[in-house]
Amino acid sequence: MAKPKIAFFDFASCEGCQIEFTNFGDAATLELLNHVEIVEFREAMTETTTGRIDIALIEGSFTREADRVRLQQIRHRAKYVIAYGACACTGGINALKNHQDDFAEYVYGGDARMPHLRSGTAQPISAAIKVDYEVKGCPMSKDELLLVISNLLHGTEHVIPTYPVCVECKRRETICRYDEGDHCMGQVARAGCGAPCPADGIPCEACRGFVDDANLPALEKVLMERAGFSQKRAVGKSRMFTANLRS
Amino acid sequence: MGYLYLEEKDFAAFVDALIAAKRVVGPTAKRNKFVYEQLASADELRLDFDVTILPPKKVFFPPAQDIVRFGEQAIEGCIAPVDTVLLGVHFYDVKGIDMTDYLFRERKEDWNYLAQREATTVVASNIQAISPRAFWDSVGAEVKPKGHDAFLTKLAGGCVLETLTPKGEALAAFGAFRDATADEINAAQQTNDSVMGQCSEKLGYTSEAIAAKVRDSFDNEELWDELAMDCFSCGSCNTVCPTCYCFDVKDAWNLNQVSGSRTRYWDACLTREFAAVTMAGGDKENFRERHQSRFRHRFMRKTAYLNEKLGGPACTGCGRCSQACTVNIADPVRVITAIMEVGS
Ligand code: SF4
Ligand code: SF4
Ligand code: SF4
Ligand code: SF4
Ligand code: SF4
Repeated sequence: MAKPKIAFFDFASCEGCQIEFTNFGDAATLELLNHVEIVEFREAMTETTTGRIDIALIEGSFTREADRVRLQQIRHRAKYVIAYGACACTGGINALKNHQDDFAEYVYGGDARMPHLRSGTAQPISAAIKVDYEVKGCPMSKDELLLVISNLLHGTEHVIPTYPVCVECKRRETICRYDEGDHCMGQVARAGCGAPCPADGIPCEACRGFVDDANLPALEKVLMERAGFSQKRAVGKSRMFTANLRS
Repeated sequence: MGYLYLEEKDFAAFVDALIAAKRVVGPTAKRNKFVYEQLASADELRLDFDVTILPPKKVFFPPAQDIVRFGEQAIEGCIAPVDTVLLGVHFYDVKGIDMTDYLFRERKEDWNYLAQREATTVVASNIQAISPRAFWDSVGAEVKPKGHDAFLTKLAGGCVLETLTPKGEALAAFGAFRDATADEINAAQQTNDSVMGQCSEKLGYTSEAIAAKVRDSFDNEELWDELAMDCFSCGSCNTVCPTCYCFDVKDAWNLNQVSGSRTRYWDACLTREFAAVTMAGGDKENFRERHQSRFRHRFMRKTAYLNEKLGGPACTGCGRCSQACTVNIADPVRVITAIMEVGS
């Protein structure tokens, strides 16, 4: 069987997820290349393609109508579409601007009117085209990406955790942030990352988005009662990665 | 089997001699908490711990455990027990280990657990500090701690080691032990008796009364709705519990796409898809879809369902779930008391 063709595409993002992919390292990437053929990958090669692809990996948010056409073309060419990274799966950090209107002046000052800064609401790729799989995280979890590709290669069903980060955090016996007087959103964040942030002593910011039935009233209660947040801060917490998921 | 005595000045040498000969796992400090870890030297051992974040079952039943590894041709099992001394287990966790021993032996023996269990010498130790959420002195009094190999009690100036099995007796060879005197044995007994009644949380009902009332409350939806309202379905109350034994199994390929492994992970019945099953024809069904019914399930399991098998409730009163639940609704004392007070 011919090796499946894989191509990487990027939209509004920092391309950090592509870099994360290269963090597999040379030896490991070469192993993977025994099984797949990479036909387009801006961060690592110059060639591009317009032909059929088996797996399209899309990074970044959908922010302009012009993106929609490009996305539809990719969808048309690709057998499977995998959105990877928080920007592509939930809007990620880009979605921070969706709740405000003065961000351009705030960030770019006198250059705020540059034409390429004109963009709309930051949305996940799934708002424009059908996405078959999502690899969450900021940056994306490269092991999870590998798992999706493995499952596609082997024809097995891809299952990702539907439980929150606390499960993985407890499995590695991390001291709960709340037991050190801090706060955390691991109770509502979707697991799959292995809970690295609390293990490093920092709160989970839910970069992988929320679990489907996130109990946000209870989160707000805990943030106020145990972490001492004001109501305003508890309700606004945290838009960093979940702006599109919060009202 | 009998009682031995070791002077305090000889204790570190005893532990270091054990460490030189075997893998020794004991409670160690992790900032403001305690965790069981392999000891590199006697001074890491903190027998003055109150409770560990995870229970000692992790020694036999790790949070993630490879079951098989597969290559292009061969599949091999991963059972590889290591001669281990588990040093410093409070009596409530001895009960927990005895329960998982039973549960992993029941029906089909699970050698992924039992092999390491049998290769381990369990040394219980007296409680020197009490966790604020513990209630081990008021739960399951009818369940006696058993299955351990020795019991170490610290006294002023030394410690008494009660040996209960040949594995426990074999420990004597590693230290300058002598036979304990009757006074020392009495003092050890008193030391262990004196902590009973000291927990700040208390269950004021018998196991039988609790089991009956919790079962009777099964259909009281309003009650469970209220008790579980703030639940995150995060499963922390399961993952820290010494008597939870459910696991999920997943396969993963290595990067080469040829070899890989099948791993089991601690599961948690409070999580949303724990009870989701695929039926004939591919339809999915979740038989505990609402978080209230999952919350109720844990209390049924801890207070009623397993009592006949285990001789009492599947709760040791360690208080780990109470501590782990960030929204503070998992505490068995509060929940059971609320249930007992309904209609009374
Ligand atoms: S630190 Fe965060 S993720 Fe870990 S158990 Fe506590 S709330 Fe959950
Ligand atoms: S712990 Fe939370 S913030 Fe950290 S990687 Fe996981 S989901 Fe993202
Ligand atoms: S239910 Fe809670 S208190 Fe009881 S054994 Fe489990 S973790 Fe400990
Ligand atoms: S059913 Fe729930 S309470 Fe019982 S052992 Fe499994 S996870 Fe623990
Ligand atoms: S009872 Fe508490 S610890 Fe248990 S799943 Fe619910 S929120 Fe998590």
